[in-house]
Amino acid sequence: MQAQHRGMNLIVPDNDTEWKGYFEAAREHRLVMKQCRNCDLLRYPPGAACPWCTSLEWIWQDVTGKGTIHSYEIVMQAIQAGFREWAPYPVVLVELDEQRGQPSADEGLRLISNLVSDDFTAEKEENVAIGKRVEVTFLDVSPEFSLPLFKLSQEPPQGPVWQFK
Amino acid sequence: MANLRDKYCIVGVGETAYTRNSGRTTRAMGVEAVRNAMNDAGLSPGDIDGMLSYHGNDSTSATAISSDLGIRVNFYMDVIGGGSSTEALIGMAMGVMEVGMCRTVAIFRSMNGYSEVRIGGTGARAATPVRGSELATRPYGMLSAGQNFAPTFMRHMHDYGTTSAQVAHVKVAHSKHASNNPKALLKQRVSVDDVLNSRWITKPLHLLDCCLETDNATCIIVTSADRAKDLRQRPIYIMGVAGRVSKPRADFHFVHGPISRVAGYYAKDIVFPMAGIGPEDVDVTGSYDAFTFTTMLQLEEYGFCKKGEGGTYVSSGIIELGGQRPNNTSGGHLCEGYTHGMNMVIENTRQLRGLVDDYCPRWQDGIHTYDYSEGQCRQVKDPEITMNLGWANPTTGSALILRR
Repeated sequence: MQAQHRGMNLIVPDNDTEWKGYFEAAREHRLVMKQCRNCDLLRYPPGAACPWCTSLEWIWQDVTGKGTIHSYEIVMQAIQAGFREWAPYPVVLVELDEQRGQPSADEGLRLISNLVSDDFTAEKEENVAIGKRVEVTFLDVSPEFSLPLFKLSQEPPQGPVWQFK
Repeated sequence: MANLRDKYCIVGVGETAYTRNSGRTTRAMGVEAVRNAMNDAGLSPGDIDGMLSYHGNDSTSATAISSDLGIRVNFYMDVIGGGSSTEALIGMAMGVMEVGMCRTVAIFRSMNGYSEVRIGGTGARAATPVRGSELATRPYGMLSAGQNFAPTFMRHMHDYGTTSAQVAHVKVAHSKHASNNPKALLKQRVSVDDVLNSRWITKPLHLLDCCLETDNATCIIVTSADRAKDLRQRPIYIMGVAGRVSKPRADFHFVHGPISRVAGYYAKDIVFPMAGIGPEDVDVTGSYDAFTFTTMLQLEEYGFCKKGEGGTYVSSGIIELGGQRPNNTSGGHLCEGYTHGMNMVIENTRQLRGLVDDYCPRWQDGIHTYDYSEGQCRQVKDPEITMNLGWANPTTGSALILRR
């Protein structure tokens, strides 16, 4: 798989045993995590072994794509040329609902992504805050390649909402 | 294994000028830095038989540097690495000498970090294809160090109430120090308001929260305490070292929190017991200032204050010259120049010698005024112990404790 996105050449070769299944599912607008066949724990990023039991056996497991903003930043000066017209844009660290606080209290399935509005423009800064609920959405970069992004959900926030001022 | 405390010493340090347009190769700069450090130590080419360097595909091999200077090595390696490699390579040099592979090691870092391969990730680095682990961040416009580290600082602000104004004091302190450093790229003193009013890079980071991309080369020479006795400079003893200690899931540390925790949480339990001291015994710190907040995060994680109180610590005056425990007295990466950590170890070495190159007329004789006003002195009075806190990223760091 290969796609041009904001001036970047995204490449997922056929032998990319880490990412190929992730982006094959994304093309079908499904968010998946690697799940260990030995201990059943989900993991992200999709590494080659289970970091908790070292098993090399895994399957791709669908997740809900629902989560909470754990941290974020608002990029004001883009580094990559293709992002300059998109700035300012939010980069969010999303904690998924699945496996929160497991297998130890400080762990979770956390992804870096962009927070976007319904038309895939960058979400406005005033709407980005730690604790807000989000859900996955997929940007079709090309017929073969889709990128998981997140948008604000209708659900009430998870605990107190905190915003950088 | 026996404790190696005080068994090895830093005997020579050297660097090139810090510029943004060196106009020459990393090879030419590296040669000059190693040569300066050899002269500083009083060593000739035949005395150096080990060489280590680190790079990000932006430097020159030890084979070129050693050959140009007529040095035949019994050991060399060029290691891929950025920040926090300095302390780690000093530890590696000790190990290599301990097993008898060589006797004296020159460690160098050479980079045209502004004019050639820009450290910030702009230019050629931004244009390379995105694959593998980069797919987790770069498609979302997260590439530079600032962009990669910002969520860590943001979460620290959320968890502990740390403010932009508090960490701005790190830049204020380091600019004060740089104003007394003839080598510093930025010598102008700045205020907290200057930092807060500088343009945004990525919220919560302003331009003046970020360090300088710089062209330079640096070198540190390490040998055994026995050999150090006969050399030109007062030996500076290595009490303890921790190299590239990492948090769990170092490939993507966000998945193992608290994300406001940094690698010093683990490194402190290696380096302090090895040195047999605690934070309260340290006179000068060199907490890596890739950004203002990286200095803060490490100082609190190593126990110079309680976890979460780093903002208060760095804004209290403690870290300024004249304060209880100055940090990065050369001006560090924020003001002297960006070297991936080398200049902070070089500065602490000079502090312990009492031979900081400030504007005091007789600094070369070790005579200082201790007047820290602008354009004057930056020598700390009689420091006994210094500590470097090296930073690669929130997940990886190193530490080095030196004494005179």
